[in-house]
Amino acid sequence: MNTIKSILFGLLLVATLSSYAQQKEVKPRTFKYGKIELSEFDTKVNGSDSAASAIALFDVGKGWFEFSAKTGEFIYVFERHMRYKIINKTGYDYANLEIQLYESNGNKENLEYMDGATYNLEAGKTVISKLNKESKFSEKQDKNFTLKKFALPNVKEGSIVEFKYKIKSDFIFTLRSWYFQKEIPVLYSSYEIRIPEYYKYKITAGGYLFINPKEELINETFMSGTNTLNAKSLKLNYQVENVPGLKTENFITTMKDYVSRVGFELSSITVPGAVYRDVTSTWPKIVKRLKEDENFGLFANRRSFSKTLLKEIIKTNTDKDTVLSLVFNYVKNNIKFNNEVEKYTSETNPKSIFEKKAGNSADINLCLLTLLTEAKIDAFPVLLSTRSHGAHPGFPMLTEFNNVIIVAQIGEKSILLDATDKNHTPNMIGFDNLCHEGLKVNFADETADWISVEDPTISRKSVNYVLNLDTENKITGKMYLASTNYEALDRRESYLSAANETDFLKNYKDGKPGFGIKNYKIENLTNINESLVETMDISIDDNVEEAGNLIYFTPLFYERTKENPFKLEERNFPVDFGHPTEKSIRITLDYPKEYQIDKVPKNEKIILPEESAAFTFMFANEPGKLVISSKISFKKSLYTPEEYHHLKELFKNIVRKQSEQIVLKKS
Amino acid sequence: MKRLGLLIIGLLMITEAGAQGIYDVSKISPDLLKDASMVVRYESVTYEVKDPGNAVYDYKTAVTLLNKNAESSSEMHEFYDKFSSIHNLKATLYDDKGNKVKEYKSADFKDRSAVSNGTLYDDSRVKFLFFLYTSFPYTIEYSYNVDYSGIRFYPSWRPVSSWGMSVEKSEYIFKIPETMTFKYLKSAGLKTDSLKVKDKMQYKWSCENIKALEYEPMSAGISNVSPWITLAPNQLEYDNSKANIENWANLGAWIYGLSNGAQVLPDAVKLKVQSLIKGVGTQKDKIKILYNYLQSNTRYVGVQLGIGGYKPITAEKVAAVNYGDCKALSNYMKALLQEAGIKSNLVVIGNDMPSLNKKFASLNQANHMILCVPQEKDTTWLECTSQFVPAGYIGNDNSDRTVLLVTESGGILAQTPYYSPTNNYQKRITKVNLDEEGSADISIETQYGFAQYEDNLGLTLLEPMEQRKKLMNSLSIPNMQINTFNFNQPNKDAAIMNEKIELKASQLLTKGGDKLFITLNLINRQENVITSIENRKTYFNVKYGYSDQDEIIYNIPKGYKVEFMPKDIVIESEFGKYTAKVVQKDNSLVYSRTKMINNKKYPPEKYNEYVAFSKKIYQADKQKGIFSKIE
Repeated sequence: MNTIKSILFGLLLVATLSSYAQQKEVKPRTFKYGKIELSEFDTKVNGSDSAASAIALFDVGKGWFEFSAKTGEFIYVFERHMRYKIINKTGYDYANLEIQLYESNGNKENLEYMDGATYNLEAGKTVISKLNKESKFSEKQDKNFTLKKFALPNVKEGSIVEFKYKIKSDFIFTLRSWYFQKEIPVLYSSYEIRIPEYYKYKITAGGYLFINPKEELINETFMSGTNTLNAKSLKLNYQVENVPGLKTENFITTMKDYVSRVGFELSSITVPGAVYRDVTSTWPKIVKRLKEDENFGLFANRRSFSKTLLKEIIKTNTDKDTVLSLVFNYVKNNIKFNNEVEKYTSETNPKSIFEKKAGNSADINLCLLTLLTEAKIDAFPVLLSTRSHGAHPGFPMLTEFNNVIIVAQIGEKSILLDATDKNHTPNMIGFDNLCHEGLKVNFADETADWISVEDPTISRKSVNYVLNLDTENKITGKMYLASTNYEALDRRESYLSAANETDFLKNYKDGKPGFGIKNYKIENLTNINESLVETMDISIDDNVEEAGNLIYFTPLFYERTKENPFKLEERNFPVDFGHPTEKSIRITLDYPKEYQIDKVPKNEKIILPEESAAFTFMFANEPGKLVISSKISFKKSLYTPEEYHHLKELFKNIVRKQSEQIVLKKS
Repeated sequence: MKRLGLLIIGLLMITEAGAQGIYDVSKISPDLLKDASMVVRYESVTYEVKDPGNAVYDYKTAVTLLNKNAESSSEMHEFYDKFSSIHNLKATLYDDKGNKVKEYKSADFKDRSAVSNGTLYDDSRVKFLFFLYTSFPYTIEYSYNVDYSGIRFYPSWRPVSSWGMSVEKSEYIFKIPETMTFKYLKSAGLKTDSLKVKDKMQYKWSCENIKALEYEPMSAGISNVSPWITLAPNQLEYDNSKANIENWANLGAWIYGLSNGAQVLPDAVKLKVQSLIKGVGTQKDKIKILYNYLQSNTRYVGVQLGIGGYKPITAEKVAAVNYGDCKALSNYMKALLQEAGIKSNLVVIGNDMPSLNKKFASLNQANHMILCVPQEKDTTWLECTSQFVPAGYIGNDNSDRTVLLVTESGGILAQTPYYSPTNNYQKRITKVNLDEEGSADISIETQYGFAQYEDNLGLTLLEPMEQRKKLMNSLSIPNMQINTFNFNQPNKDAAIMNEKIELKASQLLTKGGDKLFITLNLINRQENVITSIENRKTYFNVKYGYSDQDEIIYNIPKGYKVEFMPKDIVIESEFGKYTAKVVQKDNSLVYSRTKMINNKKYPPEKYNEYVAFSKKIYQADKQKGIFSKIE
């Protein structure tokens, strides 16, 4: 476990203790479909959920394996039964249910049955309205997915709704995750799964509720036609009571990181009479599996096309840094990212991708890998679980990754490469890939290591104004804007995405009343290894105000931080900026000789513990000239919820200090 | 076999060599590159009506994408459903020189369901393809046919469909049997060519060398400056239903026919209606009671299949499940009213769309259905999909537009009620108890009416924790802490809501030397200005008319006196009216502000006047007062 995981882990513990304490033992409960107690209509929840739009009275899931006569293989059966009380109209959504089913290459998930009903209390009696045929819909989304939709009848405020259904699935590698927590409070949630001894599953648990299953070995009989098969099965039983509704917060990676759930991924198979097959149980096993995968290792190993292509790309160059840069540029500029984030390639041979000139993230980055390998540069895939996908649990589970980038090693240097964007430089990966760490896969010795995918380079924005204030209160002068790293990436993107330069400047001026730009110049737009530099002549109108013989203005003009981004008193989740940043502003202002400064504002400097963030604000004044500089820096990418208060306080001071007026007096 | 293969390849190569360079970007005239992100190199649309229920559509185009701004247009898509099918999809990508880079295979086209947002189920699907290429410029070319076996509309033609788009050449050929009639509307100056070919009439509209339009904010659309044509059938056949929609009267008669007889209620519901209205005096009260019954017993679930897009599900079926789409719920309400002896009409309406064109009857001008209870003096309009709004309030997006009443004697055009800026009000009184450090106890009491009530309705439906967060994020008061807040709707029958917030804040005063500055308009500032445009070409819409009244009462902090207060401001124009003034009364300052904005469509030349009006308000809203220490 490295720092990030420990931070998250620490957070989990704290949150568990402070906001929720789970009872030691939950008494198992059983529910019969259609049997509603009158008392259920009176269900209420106290505390923070007292205004919930609905209450999950229970949500009970069961999973087991059956032998399929059709395929002669084990299939997975999932049965779910849930009942909600609808409190108000906002909760009507819980009377609609959608289930997505997957099919691929003749294998599929099948909804065996769906029962549903609404119960209303009328004159002291329960009135039942069943889900009818006309309220069941099936939408074929595309060739792989079908969406089944159900809408219950006669739903009112105070109704109880109930669904029960069963799915049989040919897919047993990953089993449907079970979510213990919802946006609404859950009074009772349980999940029982029986896994025959032939299969071993890795279990992931997420969220800030820790639920330990009861484990038990049982005997099961599987029927296949006339044959029966007796086997031992592992039975796991998860139970939890009174789970509070999940409330979202801003500035987080994804809610998926915080909802309590349990997921299953196959790690090994031992079928009687056949050889024991380890699927993914350890990192080396996962690496071996990936190495032999048509859409990963084998793809990366098909290098005949790259061999000829490489010669065209690198010509006679042999210097490794030069070769790396040539290859990286070639891939970036010749394969267009189709915006699909994947860890597996869409084709089995890089040739198809090079010819299509477009592909998903795995297509692009593994094509890059083949060229680098062909060029004798040590390069390795790095598996990631992107920010929006949620943190990887840390132990050997392949399905928890959703993307792949590359790390190259030249001598002592490790260079991260992500060729999905033309404007990426070596060591700069897509923002969503800044998930703090990734799994480096080494095919040669079949090992894997967690490595940092942080970009420690500070993304800087520096603004330099050289201005003159005249007696008409008009400000004119020059502005220099330099940006680096992710800051530059964003600016390049907005420049290139505009219809033309005029359009870009229009967008830039948007939200800056009184701002005028002339003689705009941009340097290093395509020279992406250098800072992006913009220079322009500017005018600032309507920002200097007069009151009697006083003239005043806020000196940072459009660069001032006007509002504290952190408004709430408390925060449960970390603040994740993705990368360190620094914003500095320097203003030199000449003002008319007949004006005087009454009092020069005080200099201020605020530094957070361990110098993790800082704010400085300095003034200097000589007759007719004022120099102001402001610098805000965040040296880390991730701040814990405990540090939240420091950040909030820091921003409070930034907003206060930057809003101070400069007051000049006419003599 | 082999020989034949070679021969075909040979032929292909010849055509390819011949085609090479047609799409060379350097061949585009500089006029068409100005302000353009994409250039339509050619577009050819043919629509042939076979009979009232069948037609064939041919589409071909080539578009050059000049820069990243056009990336989202680097695609093709076409919708289809049970009554249409797409054939012969072809697509090719060319580089900047016009060399063929790639020809797409049929497997490259994707197929997906296209159920619209908010609808549970309909049968629309889409075939689509994204063209991906790393370096701009490049050209995409694609073509396909669609066979229609059910007709509701004829396709319109808008060769310029967005800003930054120029057109080298585009044409639309429309063929129709001479025994059939149709109608069309066209842009000013567009020429119509027509000729008879065998037993069909053939019409042709085309344009060439149309320059790109630069983006204009608040635009009411580009139809006054670019060529277009809109067509509509007079006879149609769709999903076993035949209609004549020559005029609105006929169109309404058809819709009436589809819904006629669908108002039968089960006995239980009939009894319920009778018991609800028993002893209720006025018709108005009966409507309210039945509308409340509808709101608390049904919910919106959209299911639209074929003719179901126009024909409501019967009241009997709605009664069985208590849900439905806008047509089903409006019709159910009609049935409830009918049982109470009150006559009402279904209303075909374009929600958040322009008024129906009185002289041009077509189905694609509407997307919604509401209900109208006509009365000589006091007609009531009912939006039957909302579970929250008071009876008679139909929402800003349904208001003030021409709609079609569906009556037994056919369609009748009518106008929905207008919610004036004075109706859509916000009245607020804020009390600020300041200390000399700039900390304050603040109480804010606000009343919202009509459209502004509607804007804030969503907030009242959230859980208190979420409400608190939303309020924290929407109020621009520095460093605040909300102590209490509540919302209430004093009268369930009026679209009016009250809000009360008590909070603490610091940093209301900013320092400047030894003076204290205060931005007098604490919470309702216009923070932004729009920029003026030279030679604006399109009309602009101010979509939302409203009026705000603010009064803020500050106490003067201890030990300080007023050094400066801004003068009274009055800004008035056809766009609206604004006033702001501050008055010192003993130890307090009373700031009052009124702002009224008219919703209207204005001609392009008025835009810069509107910008100036808006800028004056911006400046007035940031006026500061100055306190200085009493020495």
